[in-house]
Amino acid sequence: MACAAIAGLPLESACTPSGDRVNQARNAAVLTWQRWHRGCVIGNRAIRQVKTDSLRLLLVVSAALLGSASPVLARPAPQASEEQGQLLSLRPTLDLAGYATEAPEAGAGQGGGNPASNQSAFNWAAEGRSCEGCPPRSLGRALFQSTVINVVYGLSNLMRGHDTAKVTPKTWWGNMQQGWVWDLNDFPVNQVGHPYQGNNYFTAGRANGLSFYESAAVAAFGSATWEFFGETSDPSLNDFINTTLGGIALGEMFHRVGWLIRNTHATGSGRLWSEIGAMAVDPLTGYNRFRTGDASRVHEKPADMVPPTLGGSASLGALWRGEENGSIDAAEGQAFLEMDLLYGATQTGHSRTPYDAFAVKLRFGGGSAFSEARVRGRLLGQPYSSDKLQFSVLQTYDYQNNNAYATGSQSFDAALGVTQPLSDRLGLWVLGWGGLTILSAVDSIPLGVPTEECGGASGTEHATGPRCYDYGPGGNFGVVAQFSRDQRVFTGFFYEGRHLYSLDGVRANHFLQRARADLLLPLHGALGVGTSVEYFDRHTFYQDAARSERRFHYPQVRAYFTWRLE
Amino acid sequence: MTWRIRIVVAGIAAFITLAPAAAVAQPSPANAEESRLWLVAGGAFAALRGDCQTCEEDYPYRKGGGVLVNGGYRVNARMDVGGEVFWIPVDTTEGRIRTTHWDAVAQFRPWASKGFFLKGGAGMAYVRNWVDVLGQQSVNSKALSVVVGTGWEFRTTRRIGLQIFGSQHVGALGDLQTADAEIPDVVGNFWSVGAGVVIR
Repeated sequence: MACAAIAGLPLESACTPSGDRVNQARNAAVLTWQRWHRGCVIGNRAIRQVKTDSLRLLLVVSAALLGSASPVLARPAPQASEEQGQLLSLRPTLDLAGYATEAPEAGAGQGGGNPASNQSAFNWAAEGRSCEGCPPRSLGRALFQSTVINVVYGLSNLMRGHDTAKVTPKTWWGNMQQGWVWDLNDFPVNQVGHPYQGNNYFTAGRANGLSFYESAAVAAFGSATWEFFGETSDPSLNDFINTTLGGIALGEMFHRVGWLIRNTHATGSGRLWSEIGAMAVDPLTGYNRFRTGDASRVHEKPADMVPPTLGGSASLGALWRGEENGSIDAAEGQAFLEMDLLYGATQTGHSRTPYDAFAVKLRFGGGSAFSEARVRGRLLGQPYSSDKLQFSVLQTYDYQNNNAYATGSQSFDAALGVTQPLSDRLGLWVLGWGGLTILSAVDSIPLGVPTEECGGASGTEHATGPRCYDYGPGGNFGVVAQFSRDQRVFTGFFYEGRHLYSLDGVRANHFLQRARADLLLPLHGALGVGTSVEYFDRHTFYQDAARSERRFHYPQVRAYFTWRLE
Repeated sequence: MTWRIRIVVAGIAAFITLAPAAAVAQPSPANAEESRLWLVAGGAFAALRGDCQTCEEDYPYRKGGGVLVNGGYRVNARMDVGGEVFWIPVDTTEGRIRTTHWDAVAQFRPWASKGFFLKGGAGMAYVRNWVDVLGQQSVNSKALSVVVGTGWEFRTTRRIGLQIFGSQHVGALGDLQTADAEIPDVVGNFWSVGAGVVIR
């Protein structure tokens, strides 16, 4: 008998008749895990020991999440086939990313195989899965879990004593009557905290078998419900945009990185730790996999979660940043750690699968604990001229926050790339882009406000300002050129310009420019040494009566060791 | 009752009359033979309210009718993308506030075989004679526009249908210079409920 029970059907009845020893051993492991996560192993004694508020909260949340599992546990598998067939007949023409758009008949090459031929092993199609390794599709559970996420965030704020967490139906109604406003919270809260929260909503969709675009709608749902019902403060327009768009970018990135970490062919402790590691970056998918038993089942990864190429680097060094409008001579060195990831073929390829190629840059140190994050994902790609030209539509999440300046943005770009071999060993790649910035933020001190008064608004407490950065839409453009030798980049140039028309904050037009040149030299194997020269410039045209202008610029030099990962 | 309100009422009355039959005859929106283009035109009751970040005054809600047109391309059975124009003129004692939202929108149907949809988008809004309570001077402004909404689509025939919807548009204007003072961080919220004819 099939061991389809892993997805939550009664294990004893479903799997015991199997004569296969391997399957029996696997069933035993799965049974233990399922009992554990159902709470059988915890026992009453352990529950009695729970005394702290944190653990009580954890139990409440766990109970709620387990409650969401019950429809799956009780779902009879065979009846799903008719509905599944109807679903599959609606397969879209465009190859949109996601589990939901992968038809089982195409699954042979997708790690799933034909459902009929796989029937004896695991009847994934009958469980509403699009492939063997894909999660069961459930929109209702995705929406429920995104609501539970809101409850978790709300309870944690309540436990921290935030007034904004004391929500009642009266505050809900008040928020609906008020409508959207701009909020006054800290820069990191709005530009990192909210996108991370949005990532949780988005991955709740992905963890329940929804496609990229369907999960984007779940992110918007979770964000809107949080703004109206999760806090007593007025619903914030900038939070809604940052949570939704930032959540999509971070969510798909984390979801795919989670699949990179998972080793679905392994068993035993190695498998357990790979699932725990993946759960750390994508908690919702990890939780659902433990809940359904997928975390212990040996299977192929979903095909679209396996990138054709993967590269990256880690750099450790020091940077020197000049003070405002000053030279770099007096700058003090600041240590930094930078990590870059290139997922998929970012420079070439026909693609209609969002984020099948993306680039991530994270920097710690160098002016603040977490000073830079950039996620740029390809939404669609179209090659021309035998792959020499590449047109792409990109989504970008950008965050920079150091002791000199702070910027952040959510944008969509159209990009044109050119790949040109210069010799047998040398190559050149140039990418130019331009697009719309839906919402951008830049630090800007209101006229007449002392600098020391900035940044006083904390977390999700009622913030009273002043909020020393501006919000607004705008545009952006840029170009990057990289020279490589034997497929290894040894020098590169980067330029980006960004315009921000301030709608909230100081009424002004901000024009930001950033230029950088990199030089990388190999030392031994994957180890290399590099240096970078960077220049950041902000030109602000105030809309005051005097039409005053101000200009800020910050030079920067970096020196570092780099370790290439391939 | 103004002529716009009458048009909206007539449209909704027609919708209520036709909707039961439409619900019975509702085909799948994902019919392979239908065009990928879609168009919706209709009317709505709307309420609008302007406010600002530091304003202590409790600004009034104003009510009126609105016209909505949106259209675009059906990406797949669950997703439409396109553009939307939402025009809301509101009469006040001092004049008329006219707001036009131009948004790029995406509509998502969680259940492909049902008419329920969620909508979201962003774009620009153009506001004329904004919030007359702030002063007598006419104020025209562009604004960042964001829209969220939901609704249900009923199909009477393969290509024609009716839609009811509720949406909230927001127009973020920034600072407004009036005759009396500069008003910081002005935001207008527009709530609307309406119905429209769908052509696919």
